[in-house]
Amino acid sequence: MKKILAITFRDLRVRFASFVEWLFFLILPIVFTLVLSGGTGAPADNRVRLVVVDQANTSLSTELITALENSESVRPDLLSLDDAEYQFDSRRVSAMLIIPQGFAREALESGTLTLELRQQPNSLNALVAQRSVQAVISRVGQAVAIARNSLAEAEALRPFETDAARQTYFDDALESAQTLLAEAPDRLTETQGDTPDQIEYDPRANSSAGQLITWVFIPLIGLSELFAYERQKGTLRRILTTPTRKGTYLFGTIFGQVLIALGQMTLLVLFGILVMNLNWGQDVFGLAIMLVAGALAAAALGTMLGTFVKTTGQANGLSIMLGMVMALMGGCWYPLELFPEAVRSMVKVLPTTWAMQGLLDLVLRGQPWTAILPEAGVLLGFAAVFFVIGILRFKYE
Amino acid sequence: MKKLFLIGLKDLKLIFRDPAALVLMLAAPFALTLGLGFVTGQFGGSGSGIGNIPVVIVNQDSGQLGAALVEMFQSEQLSDLVTATQLDDPTEAFQQVDDDLVAAAILVPAGFTDSVLPPAGQSAPGRTIQLQVYANPTRPTSVGVIKTILEEFVNRLEVARVGGTVAITQLIESGLVPPQEAAALAVELGQQQADSLAESNAITLTSNVASEAAVNFNPLAYIAPGMALMFLMYTASNAGRTLLLERDHGTLPRLLISPTASAQVLGGKIFGVYLSGVAQMLILIIASTLLFQLQWGDPLGVLALVLAAVFGATGWGMVITALAKRPGQVAAVGSVIMLTFGILGGSFINLEVMPVWVQFASKITPNAWGLDGFSTLALGGGLNLLGRPILALIVMGLALFAVALVFFNRRGMAMK
Amino acid sequence: MPTILEVKDLVKKYGDFTAVKGISFNIQEGEIFSLLGPNGAGKTTTISVLSTLYAATSGDATIAGHSVSKDPMAVRKVIGVVPQEIALYEDLTARENLNFWGQMYSLSGKALKDRVEEILEQIGLTDKARDKVKTYSGGMKRRVNIGVGLLHKPSLLFMDEPTVGIDPQSRRAILDSVKDLNRQGMTVLYTTHYMEEAAELSNRVGIIDHGELIALGTQKELTRQVGEMETLVLHVDEMQDVQRLAKAVEALEMVRHAEVSDHSVTAIVPEAEEALAPAVTKANELGIKIRSVDIREPNLEAVFLHLTGRALRD
Repeated sequence: MKKILAITFRDLRVRFASFVEWLFFLILPIVFTLVLSGGTGAPADNRVRLVVVDQANTSLSTELITALENSESVRPDLLSLDDAEYQFDSRRVSAMLIIPQGFAREALESGTLTLELRQQPNSLNALVAQRSVQAVISRVGQAVAIARNSLAEAEALRPFETDAARQTYFDDALESAQTLLAEAPDRLTETQGDTPDQIEYDPRANSSAGQLITWVFIPLIGLSELFAYERQKGTLRRILTTPTRKGTYLFGTIFGQVLIALGQMTLLVLFGILVMNLNWGQDVFGLAIMLVAGALAAAALGTMLGTFVKTTGQANGLSIMLGMVMALMGGCWYPLELFPEAVRSMVKVLPTTWAMQGLLDLVLRGQPWTAILPEAGVLLGFAAVFFVIGILRFKYE
Repeated sequence: MKKLFLIGLKDLKLIFRDPAALVLMLAAPFALTLGLGFVTGQFGGSGSGIGNIPVVIVNQDSGQLGAALVEMFQSEQLSDLVTATQLDDPTEAFQQVDDDLVAAAILVPAGFTDSVLPPAGQSAPGRTIQLQVYANPTRPTSVGVIKTILEEFVNRLEVARVGGTVAITQLIESGLVPPQEAAALAVELGQQQADSLAESNAITLTSNVASEAAVNFNPLAYIAPGMALMFLMYTASNAGRTLLLERDHGTLPRLLISPTASAQVLGGKIFGVYLSGVAQMLILIIASTLLFQLQWGDPLGVLALVLAAVFGATGWGMVITALAKRPGQVAAVGSVIMLTFGILGGSFINLEVMPVWVQFASKITPNAWGLDGFSTLALGGGLNLLGRPILALIVMGLALFAVALVFFNRRGMAMK
Repeated sequence: MPTILEVKDLVKKYGDFTAVKGISFNIQEGEIFSLLGPNGAGKTTTISVLSTLYAATSGDATIAGHSVSKDPMAVRKVIGVVPQEIALYEDLTARENLNFWGQMYSLSGKALKDRVEEILEQIGLTDKARDKVKTYSGGMKRRVNIGVGLLHKPSLLFMDEPTVGIDPQSRRAILDSVKDLNRQGMTVLYTTHYMEEAAELSNRVGIIDHGELIALGTQKELTRQVGEMETLVLHVDEMQDVQRLAKAVEALEMVRHAEVSDHSVTAIVPEAEEALAPAVTKANELGIKIRSVDIREPNLEAVFLHLTGRALRD
């Protein structure tokens, strides 16, 4: 035990000798979490800018623009066609709406009108703009359609005597349709799965958990670098000529790194709780189990990798690459639901997948510690397998 | 000048013989492009990554609307998007959400139909009864899709109800229909209009996704350059490492005592990084074109942009080199900068959805400008539209070189 | 013979530390000149300044008529340098390394190609020319390291401790090749802390210690400085009190100087055989057991000991 502690303390000193280590340890994870969760604090105007070209200049087009201005998701910006096209072509705006000439209420009574929306491809903002415009025009348009229908029903029974009477009938119908539509009750309600009522669902929990795993896995896989380093310097050989067992050495090394990782995770969790108001603390016992299991699995993976790599350069490159790919494929960056079914079952072979699932059970679903036992078990299984392979393949040159 | 090229070529050769460097230069961007390709459904067969969203419906409504909702979810039209199953017990359905078996549970409570369309003989609808969505918080996108479908459904109901009501009310008020027939007519009209109204909107929107290439824009055209640019930063910072290593191994002093000016040596090293960066980008571009059938766009534009982007990145590499003292330190700082620039520069997520300060900060990264240019190219734009990003990258490179030079002058190259 | 290198009052300071304290010497064309001194004496610094890597703090040197400080480019063209470390690209092959360095010395085309093959032949690595340097043994790397310094047929070759840390066989080969080069007319400035190497190779030797040139001349001239002295070395077993033995030996009438190193006592005496018996007697009196005895003719080691009061090694 004394030896394990000695190895552990040596590792702690070696690791935090440079400031750069702190970047990986705390600063990068926090930056990534913040950026990926969309930053903190309320930005002044978060609405998507939508360039609008009004070629009609009618009361209907004004009504449409006003409706857009009241929207919660887009901010219309009136421009001339040339300016708008320039901005759009140089990709400075994600969507532009063209209201063509003849966009007027009179035309709407008899036929349909068409608006043109140009969108940048693969742009979420363009999609947001499209939805908002669609919503606004269906509100403006549906009432007209209902009124037109009502008029048609009446005309089917008996034609109007004068155009004025016909117009009045239409106007009345439009007005009551608008009123009724506006008064329509909310018929849909949403509950987030199994989160106790006092806690609000927060999608930022996703990025907090995901980044925690990413940035704990990368340095722990980087353990392999430590082995490569010691092998290159010959200190590994020297340690093994002392009466120290392979297992003791490996365990001591892992123990130290897991301790560091636990410290790191604690700080990141505290950051999540204090700065981002996330629900990390709801089941501390479960969280502790998950964090320890995750760290052990990652450290054992690093140990195993350490027996394969030859140089520190290789180890460094591999740990960053593996860490990022595993985090990405394990759903730490984007929810797993986005992956095709086949990939979703394939990634079950990655420890990151299980770590992420367990953490989400705790922080997003608010489940008790008993619910994460399967995930923790799988992670410990990973740890055992990697560790055994590591010991079997372990060599000092 | 000739020696400068020779030193550069030597460095190019060396870096392509270093397996550790190749992992990060070529393997990592490929692996991540592949992974992100999965996320965006590029390799999934269907066009979009989201498909066959599992959802469970509990219909406790005895009226027609509950049945209509179930029917809609099980319809042919939605079969690609949604896989709906029915259960009787809400508790069991909610449990499936908690177990992450389905994306959402939809509960249609008893009396839902009656609350929308008052049954014959009853004039006004009673208390509003709401459809309930029990959402799986770990699948926000799927839940979003389900909610959109439900909102559309509710919207159609609303239009039908209002349409029916308006028509009947007006017919009665104008005396065209006697009030006693109203109730029966209302149901009939409502059903008629439910289908016709919601679909025949008075104003239609034609959405044009930009330019010709747009029709099937490949998200990989955004992901692949993003990853390539991120790991380009690794190559750039690696330059600093090789310079320090040459110093430690004695080849730098040896170069400096050969009849080669120190400006040539430094220039050669910079040229070596530049060449490696260009080679890395071109290999990634050609490989992704061949393997993923990715269209990068106008070849001339791609080349010009690669040359400019590598120039900007090399500038950063030089500054790191000028400031660093030990090879290990450069490697670590390089990784940090690579990742930070990666996320700030939009290699992971579209910059548009990021807060303003991130968009502002992204301007110092070659990644953001490069990505801007590559997107323009992928959309079918040509060299003429690349003025801004290319100029920005060149200015960035020049400014950083100037900074690096100041530091180099202060320290002297052979210093141990 | 004309002078190829002329060093005058050369001083090199690093901050407050003065590594070279104003040394002056000349090297004639065609000779092998050794700078002999312990580690840290200032040998490498001297070579670095002479090879234009560092600027001198004061003083200057001219090589083939070019000032090291004023015209470094011209100097670089006439000198070849074999640095102490293996300054090669380990991921390149021997041939690629030679090609690259040749180009740095402005060789090109057929001239370069022929010269590279010639050097490969000379260092005996033609067969292995296509292997990466990192796969070579220490001795092979040393040979390539030297080969690079010869590519442009320099008129003056600097060799900075080229035999440090290699096996005796490779060392022998290097010493022989230095002699070969010299026979072909190459002037060599050789630094070492091995007295035997300096003795075997050089026409003239400069002894350097703490940044100062404390002696200069042919081996004969130098040994004459200590007179016709011989060296008597008494090797004792471990755990014996060498210090006491040294004191006792130094107290003997005929002993000029005695010095402790490792498990032996080195004494400078006019006649070693004459001093042997009294020294052994002293040892017996002290109860110190003598394992073996060496008697050496006058040599550079003795010169160094005489001048500095310290042994050359360590």
